[in-house]
Amino acid sequence: WLYLKEEKERRQRARRQEELRALALGQGDFQLVDHTGRARRKSDFLGHWVLLYFGFTHCPDVCPEELEKLGRVVELLEQENSQKGAHKGVLPPIQPLFITVDPERDSVDALARYVRDFHPRLLGLTGSAEAVRAAGRAYRVYAQAGPPDASGEYLVDHSIILYLLGPDGLLLDYYGRSKSEEQIARSVRRHMDTYQPLPM
Amino acid sequence: AAKMSAPTMEERKACWGARDEFWQCLDRHADDVSKCEKLRLSFESRCPQQWVKYFDKRRDFLKYKKKLETEGYHPPEAAGKS
Repeated sequence: WLYLKEEKERRQRARRQEELRALALGQGDFQLVDHTGRARRKSDFLGHWVLLYFGFTHCPDVCPEELEKLGRVVELLEQENSQKGAHKGVLPPIQPLFITVDPERDSVDALARYVRDFHPRLLGLTGSAEAVRAAGRAYRVYAQAGPPDASGEYLVDHSIILYLLGPDGLLLDYYGRSKSEEQIARSVRRHMDTYQPLPM
Repeated sequence: AAKMSAPTMEERKACWGARDEFWQCLDRHADDVSKCEKLRLSFESRCPQQWVKYFDKRRDFLKYKKKLETEGYHPPEAAGKS
C-alpha cells in the first residue's frame, strides 16, 4: 500500500510539473532595484535556485509570517548542504527574494528596513510601478490595493504564494500558506535532486 | 503629507500582542466589547488603523469559521426546519 501511495504521489508531482512547464510562468526579464539600490534583472539570478515571495511592508501579519517561514526553509536547505560536505557537489545556496506589490510606498529604504528582520540573504526588490506590475504579471500574481482611509493608509490584497524558480529562471513549483517549512524544504530538495535543464 | 513608514518588527509584535490580549478578553466575556474597553483602546493605539480594521474582520471570519465547524452550515431557508 505504501508503494502505491508513493507511486500515486510521484505521478501527481509529475503531472503538476508538466502543468507548470506548460504555463511557463516567470518568462521575461524583470528590471527592478534591490534594497541596496542596485539594479537587478531576472537574468542576474540564472544559475541560482530562487524562492520568491510577493508582498508589501505594510502587511499586517501574513507577509512577516511567510517571510519567516521562507527564512527557515533556506536555513533547512543550508544545513543539509553543510552536512553533505564539499565533495558531494553542493549547490549554490538558494536565493530568497521579496518583490513588493506596493511600489508606491515600498521604496529602496523602506525595503532595506523591512528585509533586515528576516533571513540575512533575503533580497528585497522594488522599482517603478510599471516594472513591479510587469514582474507580478509574469507570475500571475494577484495584487489589489484597497481604498485609502482618511490618513491615506491602505492595505494591498494579494495572493500568498512562495514560488520556486529553477536555475533556468522558470517556475518549478509553488507553495501556499498551509505548507510547512519542512514540507517546502523537502520539495525543494527533491526538485534539486531531479532537476534537468531544458534543452537549448 | 509624508507617508507613514511601515511598522518595525518590534511595533508589529506590540500590535499583535495587544490584539491577542484584546481577543482573549473577548473570549472570556462572550465577545462583550464593553467588558474589554481598556484592551480595545490599547489595541487601537498600538496598531495602524488599517490593521485594526483588518484584524476586526479576521476575528469575525475566524468566529464564523468556528461556528461552521461546530454547528454546521444552516442555509437561511432552513430556519423553519425542526
